[in-house]
Amino acid sequence: MLNDLFFRLRSLFRRGEVESELDDELRFHLERQVQRLIDSGLPREEAMRRARLDSGGLEQQKEDCRDSRGTRFLETLLQDLRFAFRMLCKNPSFTVVAGLTLALGIGANTAIFSVIDSVLLSPLPYSEPQQLIATKQNDSLQNVIDIRRQTHTLSQGGGVNIEALDYTGGTEPVQILAAYVDAGLFETLGVPPMLGRIITPEEDVSGGPRNIVVSYHFWQNFLSSDPHALGKTIPLSGNNYAVIGIMPAGFALPREHADVFVSLWVAYPEAAPYRGVHFMRTYWRLKSGMTLSQAQAELSTIDGRLAQQYPDTERDRETLLVPLHQWLTGDVRPALLVLFGAVGLVLLIACANFAGLLMARAIARQKEFVIRASLGAGRSRLIGQALTESGILAIIGGAAGLLLAKWGTGFLVSLKPPELERFSGIQMDAHVFLFVFGISLLTGAVFGLMPAWSAARADVAESLKEGARGSTAGPFSQVLRQLLVTAEFALALILLVGAGLLIKGFSRLRSVNPGFNPTNVMTMHLQLPATRYAEIPSQTEFRRQVLASLNSLPGVDAAMVTDIPLGGNYVGHSFVIDGRPPVPVGAEPETQTLSVMGDYFRVMQIPIRAGRGFTAMDREGQPLVAVVNEEMVRKFFPHENPIGARIDWSRREGPHQWMTIIGVAQNVKHSGLNQPVDPAVYAPFPQSDEAWRRWMTLAIRTPGASTELIEDVKKQVWNVDSQIPVSEVHSMEDLMGVSLAQQRFNMLLLGLFAALALILAAVGIYGMMAYRVGQRMHEIGIYIALGAQRRDVLRLVLYDGAKLAFFGIAMGIAGAIALTRVMTSLLFEVKPTDPETFAVVAILLAIVGLVACYVPTRRAMRVDPVVALRYE
Amino acid sequence: MPEDRMELPQGTLDLLILKTLALEPRHGWAISERLQQVSLEVVQIRQGTLYPALQRLERRGWIKARWGTSENNRRAKYYELTTAGRKQLAAEKDAWRKLTAAVAQILETA
Repeated sequence: MLNDLFFRLRSLFRRGEVESELDDELRFHLERQVQRLIDSGLPREEAMRRARLDSGGLEQQKEDCRDSRGTRFLETLLQDLRFAFRMLCKNPSFTVVAGLTLALGIGANTAIFSVIDSVLLSPLPYSEPQQLIATKQNDSLQNVIDIRRQTHTLSQGGGVNIEALDYTGGTEPVQILAAYVDAGLFETLGVPPMLGRIITPEEDVSGGPRNIVVSYHFWQNFLSSDPHALGKTIPLSGNNYAVIGIMPAGFALPREHADVFVSLWVAYPEAAPYRGVHFMRTYWRLKSGMTLSQAQAELSTIDGRLAQQYPDTERDRETLLVPLHQWLTGDVRPALLVLFGAVGLVLLIACANFAGLLMARAIARQKEFVIRASLGAGRSRLIGQALTESGILAIIGGAAGLLLAKWGTGFLVSLKPPELERFSGIQMDAHVFLFVFGISLLTGAVFGLMPAWSAARADVAESLKEGARGSTAGPFSQVLRQLLVTAEFALALILLVGAGLLIKGFSRLRSVNPGFNPTNVMTMHLQLPATRYAEIPSQTEFRRQVLASLNSLPGVDAAMVTDIPLGGNYVGHSFVIDGRPPVPVGAEPETQTLSVMGDYFRVMQIPIRAGRGFTAMDREGQPLVAVVNEEMVRKFFPHENPIGARIDWSRREGPHQWMTIIGVAQNVKHSGLNQPVDPAVYAPFPQSDEAWRRWMTLAIRTPGASTELIEDVKKQVWNVDSQIPVSEVHSMEDLMGVSLAQQRFNMLLLGLFAALALILAAVGIYGMMAYRVGQRMHEIGIYIALGAQRRDVLRLVLYDGAKLAFFGIAMGIAGAIALTRVMTSLLFEVKPTDPETFAVVAILLAIVGLVACYVPTRRAMRVDPVVALRYE
Repeated sequence: MPEDRMELPQGTLDLLILKTLALEPRHGWAISERLQQVSLEVVQIRQGTLYPALQRLERRGWIKARWGTSENNRRAKYYELTTAGRKQLAAEKDAWRKLTAAVAQILETA
């Protein structure tokens, strides 16, 4: 054993010595052999010839001896590596193009797949997350309790409603988000607290103790990570709560952001018993062994029972269950899947390109390989060499791809489509990288082998002769390369069409009229605490004072509304129209309701289409008035003048308080630029009888950029009441941006991939054409010598490449028609087979293809026949 | 070149080389000469087979090489048996005898 090792080490490290010894030894043998033959009577020349013939070639023998030293593999590898590096350095453009091609393919794939992995494939951070179910509709606590009592398929369930509360324990009043939960919610999610305990069913009752569970974030920021925080008192909107538990760092509700968790029964006992107000998001857990469809079937039965029992409010119950994971990723899933498809296409193109490059080189080096084979290089040796070279390329590409992937993942996360914000832990995925890297290694191996393979197979003498003539590549590899280029064009076209559709949709979306003028408007959210502003008059007094002092600031034009457009919220009410035949209870039409104060329409520059807007006279004690939007008119007053008509919210009790419609405002895109406009009713804050509308959003128009005014505005608000937190300060233009963010994310990424695909396809066809022209120099020279014009040469060569490009484009169009359908949900007002986009993309690709072919063609046209004929 | 030259069965070359070296150290050419002589020209070893075999045996530690001076005053590489080589030779000789006896038995009776 030791001897073996020593022998091998010596062979490796004293290689020169060992080699010269071998040489001496073999020469000695040959000499003796010659001598013997001479002694037996042969002439010297003949003896030497015989001896050589007999020995089978000195170099061949040395190779065999080297084989039996047992260091062969390492030695060869080192040698191959040296040689491969030399070859790659000699052809820097080939190396760079091939390396970049791989890097782009590997990097982009890893980055995209890492995001997809964290968002779509990672389990949610709850216990047994596959059992968790969300409902599409909100529900009331009373219904949740009934369902919980009746179900046999669900083990747990609970609801949550987010309420903004004022935390007054710090230096400035801060608005925080409180989750009003029932005890079942924590049990459903199954995440234990980090410290203390969660709210128990026993204390989750009307008049129960004011206990609170806080989030890790809240514990860090407001309780300074105090390990003894349990039992501390937290003042929230005028009530004191005792901390009983702290949740761990990674815990968050599935879709809601919450800083603290309190019992709904304790914090908001007025709402808890109301069956008809469906204001809670509900989450359920399947019993193990039960399926979603079993649960759905059972819930439908329970829904039916509840509807019979409580026809007034529950008549149209239809609870739809969705697996929680699907519900959370629903919005972003199609976009990510399309991106995934796109990036897969890019990888295909990159691999095709890499393969094409390797094949071009292989054909160019055919002669070299044949010569080496004829000099005694064994098949395995040739193949080893070829593999080493493509392996090095793949590794270089992989390393660059790794950098790109790291950077790309960061880039994707930094683009932050709002849906991805929930998934904070997105990072590059090593498995994905290895997988993609493996694919490119395989590509390198398969296509790098070609020259070695054909050299090892070839008849040496024939190949050398053919090589001397300047061979054209074998028909098989020629066809394969053409197929690769055609495929690249087809794939690139599909990607470009996808990107084109998104770009078109995005520009449509951008040019959507939001219905107001967002320039130089700042918005902030105010919330009045229930303890001191329980009644409407006190709320009105506060609002009036705030508006008066804001409007006293120079250049400021301020108004307020319950929920600002594009802010993500509104209150919906069902309503009735005076004088119309009565509608059954529960079947009334729905509308957005927005309370306003100040000249909201002027501040937002929402045009009044008919009638008038509100004035300061439309106040408490005056006739009740309302302004409706055009959609309301279109839907409910299609053939009559709405001005003067009277409407009211549908009421279970008490007489109607009819509001008279005094004006029609232009439609506003309230829920998002890509969302349809719903009917809306604006009514003055002071005339409202809904004291729970304690929040408002300030809309402040300034002559210039409004951001410097933020502190002034806060000061004015705190002059009126120093305990009111100001939150969600945004410019209206930011909100527009958020509304566009997801679309922009899709468009940017797919656009990026399409550009990549375009470049790769162009490089691919250019490389092939350049190579073909180089091969046909001789032929072209003869043409020109025979009197062919440049035009003829142009036609001859260009035709060659152009037909591939056009064929690829045609196939791509067919593919795109089949594939773009999956994008339908991502497109805004653009059909997935938009002919304009298809045409533009096809023309663009054709131009790129022609230019890529033209550059080598021009070289062909300049061929000097004399040089070309001597070209070998 | 004699026409009745035989291909050696797999593995026998090692045995023959070891046996040749059992008497005295020899260089490569002398080994092939000796084998040819003793076998009455039946066994002829090509250089391309001999030297890789020597390398292999040396690597296994059955023979070792040293440089010496040949009959005609040339520097030559001499191979000699090691202790392990002697043991190996005995073992292989024994195995060979058993095998040939068995083969002969079969050829005569069957």
